[in-house]
Amino acid sequence: MSSSLLLVTCRKGSMEGMIIFTRASIKSGIPDYVTGNSWRYLMQSSLAAFDPENPDRMPESLTGNFFSACSPEISSDCKWMLFAGQQKQGDPWQIWGMNLDTRKVTQITSASENSTDPAFLPDGRILFTRSIENDSLKSGHALFTCNANGTNLTRITFNPHVYFASSVLLDGRVIAISKQVFPQIGNPVMMVMRPDGTKSELFYKGNDGVELFSRGRETSDGKIFFVESDNSGGNKKSIVSVNYNRPLHTRINLTSSVPGVFYSVFPLEPGKLLVSYSPSGSDSCALYDFDTEKRTLGKQLFSSSDYSVLEAVVVREHEKPKKLPSEVDTEVKTGLLFCQNITVSGLTSPENNYSMPVAYSIEIIGIDSSLGVVEVKEDGSFYLKLSADMPFKIKTMDSEGNTLNGPGSWIWIRPNERRGCVGCHEDHEMVPANRFALAVRNQPVSIPVHTAGIREKEVELE
Amino acid sequence: MKKILLIAGVVILLGLIIFIPGKKWASEHVNYNTAINDHPLMCTNCHLHIHKKSPFAKLDDADYYSPMNIAVSNDGILIYVTAQDGNALLVADTEQGKVVKKVTVGNKPHSVIIDKAGKKAYVSNQWSDNVSVVDLDNYKVTDTLRTGNGPAGLSLSSDEKFLYVVNSFSSDLTIIDLESGIERKRLTTGNNPTGAQLSPDGEELYVTSRRANTAHYGESMFSDLTIINDSSKRIKAYLGVQSAYLMENVAFTPSGDLAIVTLVRPKNMVPSIQVERGFMMTHGFGVLERKGDGRIIQLLTDEPNAYYPDPFDIVITPDGKRAFISNSGVNFITVVDIDSVRKLISGSTPEMLSLWSDHLGISSRYVIKRIPTGANPKGLALSPDGKTLFVAERLEDRISVFSTDNMETLKTINLGGPRKITVTRKGRKLLNNAGHTFQNQYSCYTCHPDEHEDGLVYNMASIDMGRNLTNTQSLRDISDTPPFKWNGKNQTVFKQDGMRFSTVLTRTEPFSYKNLDAISSYILTGIKYPPNLLFNPSGKLTEAQNRGKIVFERTKDNFGKEIPEKNRCVTCHPAPYFTNLKQFDVSTLAASDDSIAFDTPHLNNIYASPPYLHDGRAKTLEEIWTLYGKDDRHGLTSDMTKNDLNDLVEFLKSLRSPDYVNK
Repeated sequence: MSSSLLLVTCRKGSMEGMIIFTRASIKSGIPDYVTGNSWRYLMQSSLAAFDPENPDRMPESLTGNFFSACSPEISSDCKWMLFAGQQKQGDPWQIWGMNLDTRKVTQITSASENSTDPAFLPDGRILFTRSIENDSLKSGHALFTCNANGTNLTRITFNPHVYFASSVLLDGRVIAISKQVFPQIGNPVMMVMRPDGTKSELFYKGNDGVELFSRGRETSDGKIFFVESDNSGGNKKSIVSVNYNRPLHTRINLTSSVPGVFYSVFPLEPGKLLVSYSPSGSDSCALYDFDTEKRTLGKQLFSSSDYSVLEAVVVREHEKPKKLPSEVDTEVKTGLLFCQNITVSGLTSPENNYSMPVAYSIEIIGIDSSLGVVEVKEDGSFYLKLSADMPFKIKTMDSEGNTLNGPGSWIWIRPNERRGCVGCHEDHEMVPANRFALAVRNQPVSIPVHTAGIREKEVELE
Repeated sequence: MKKILLIAGVVILLGLIIFIPGKKWASEHVNYNTAINDHPLMCTNCHLHIHKKSPFAKLDDADYYSPMNIAVSNDGILIYVTAQDGNALLVADTEQGKVVKKVTVGNKPHSVIIDKAGKKAYVSNQWSDNVSVVDLDNYKVTDTLRTGNGPAGLSLSSDEKFLYVVNSFSSDLTIIDLESGIERKRLTTGNNPTGAQLSPDGEELYVTSRRANTAHYGESMFSDLTIINDSSKRIKAYLGVQSAYLMENVAFTPSGDLAIVTLVRPKNMVPSIQVERGFMMTHGFGVLERKGDGRIIQLLTDEPNAYYPDPFDIVITPDGKRAFISNSGVNFITVVDIDSVRKLISGSTPEMLSLWSDHLGISSRYVIKRIPTGANPKGLALSPDGKTLFVAERLEDRISVFSTDNMETLKTINLGGPRKITVTRKGRKLLNNAGHTFQNQYSCYTCHPDEHEDGLVYNMASIDMGRNLTNTQSLRDISDTPPFKWNGKNQTVFKQDGMRFSTVLTRTEPFSYKNLDAISSYILTGIKYPPNLLFNPSGKLTEAQNRGKIVFERTKDNFGKEIPEKNRCVTCHPAPYFTNLKQFDVSTLAASDDSIAFDTPHLNNIYASPPYLHDGRAKTLEEIWTLYGKDDRHGLTSDMTKNDLNDLVEFLKSLRSPDYVNK
């Protein structure tokens, strides 16, 4: 992996306490939530550092030699910054790192495809989004990880979704905005997964028609804040919070009574956020603080008539997320999927007395074709061995082969991953019943069937 | 000068000759014992704290109190606290905020109750099989009442003429006539009972159980709630609480219409392939409707991304509005709004209630607050007016005092234990805290309550799911019996609790080196077996046990034929730990097992560890040879009469820790 060094300035010194933000044109185009244009890729943007202790001082330009630079992220020891940038017009977007003491910039990725939205992983690796051309998995933009020097590039998402605006929760999992792009464009959701791409699951889902706009930011009191558009078709973007403990059902719109458009959020001290905001949407965004308890916009910290102030982050030490162990073994070509009872479904309700018609089989559906039909056991369980890193959906069928439920969301299993589901399209807050499922008393069914012939390494975990 | 330089040169050379291979050896030694390649090379990390008989162990020791349970005086000024490790009943003045009296009682005091007049306290001594009767005027022990094995929960009968004592190790209830001080009755309860509470109308005594009834893997599990009629002193019912265990304590609403028990809902029959989505454990409470059909509704206190493990005690305010539950695995008190629980139950069909028992979001309907506490909150007590909650923070040596109105901390009462936190104490805190599992879903204690085992078999999902079922093993007194795990693959506790542990079990960041050293220190030095007072109180074996010992040690069968050495019990199970520390195939491999030899388990206090064998298939010791082991590969037994086998089993039940030999 090649790298190039750019000495942006020779000024040395700690930047702790400074606010780094993206400067972008006021009229930067309509955001495209599939390609990331004018949303995650901000042409002719740049990064600058603002000293809140000296607000009258001009912000220091950090990426003067770049054609575009945006999406800053600060390491937990506040010594490093990651950002996405184009050195010259027309260059692919790459991930760059900057030493915040020396301002020395290092190129991390070097590919023909665009990369953006970098984040630090607790094991020292880097997480980012990369577009994929001619992807057989029809994904568009997937999540990748690599070493800090760009080596050991590893893809971690394998479904036909785009992934943007990722960050890392304190529990060590990655959280990102995800949107299905095949076979049709879906509503955006926030997905969580382990940094090796295992155990991917839904974290948050907004109402129909909303767009998730910014990175989710977790605070020390167990909340995640982000910007979400409303579904009125207008331009309003609000700050939303959810509780980490129960994200699917604790959504609060903190700025429904505040007119205008929010662009990004970043935690300050408990109860306060640093926000990028425009009163009208057509004016430039400026930096403000925001009181999450009172739900009021505070004082303006910085503004410019020449550009919008976006994606602000504070250079300060912060808690390092947990470093999660990985069960992925790339020498293993398959993973295992267990479902305890496919009749447990989120489609049940008091009206149907919380029960679903009995399903007799499931069909596993790949990108281009059916991967197989498997009978489920009498207790509704099934147990599959699937090719790793292959997206699939599952639908349930009755004894006549009629579809009962699904197909559900795209799933993938990483090499050597063991994954469990409670039901099919089930309520995400259900846990499994304590019973010994019939399906796991036998060998798993191999999907697609030709994987049965693969000789691969057997890994003993315990 | 030349001489000095020469000597210095020789010393340096010698040093290098010793240092380089020495460091290499040390690295190999540490890598082998920890199963990782980068553990710091500090001899003191391990060797200072892992040998229970070393002088360093004594130097590092400290006499903690470890408060377990609390009773409150009628005027609410004094609290009485059982100091589990201090073998004392501590009397603290809540106004002064300090301990004013210390009364020496028996071994490992567990619970304390006071009579209505406030004149006497009764303290159960779990390791000395008795109850101390304490005069609260002069704080003297006036009587010591014999009980069954492992007395824990206590209750007075409604007329206060009898004392009910829950015997946790013998799974029964002693009923003592307080006038004579003599046990009048012994009733069988559920398995490993702990808590006891008399209903407000004085008609029934409820006794909770910690262990589920022994069942084969795959069968539904039930833990019994035992109901005793107070006037007849007879068992009224055993109510099986399905899919639940570790029911530590019970409380009644003031009207008595509901009894609420703390409980854990394990997922031992679900493949242990992830922690996300409650795949290992969930925690909550059970609500028994005493009127009607007496159904038990189970509800969780967990949330989708946060768990509150090891619920221990429960108290309900006198107005019946709030229940406080101590979650000892995460240092919180969960506050439950009982009216909301009633509303949920009355508004739900049976199908919905069945759903709610496995629903992580339902707690938002009735949990109104989580109050943070110090380490390992255990026993709870309310002041008579219900306005003050006292919490025994067992591993903090402290009582916290909270207002039940605003649920804020009022004060803490330091019990006067040692200020320093020893390495072993730190390890004990880690073992009892769920902070090292993903989303705090469970602690070591959850599967190893009281550092023993939970009597369950788990699907550890080795190469495939559904394979290699594993019977939980005790952590007691294991320092001299490596290797660990049923397949003997972990040569040290450091390896057992190290990186692989975090990858396959806790699924979060592994212990730091310091924490790993601390928890290893606790496991290797701090966990003792209780004395085997049930079957071998004095070391003098009964006749049947002596006969059984002969059978155990025999070298010839009943026909005079020499028994091959590998088929003799004593070959693989020699004293004092009754393991030769080796792995064997004793014909117990199941179709779902990978082909391995099993590590010979140690047998001390084996009577307290059903079920048996690596996958728990033998519900009793007898079944090891009557249902299984018929091919004589697990010891020659085919020539034995039934009496021989009975005697052998009696001997096995008498086995106890070498700590108690010659005592």
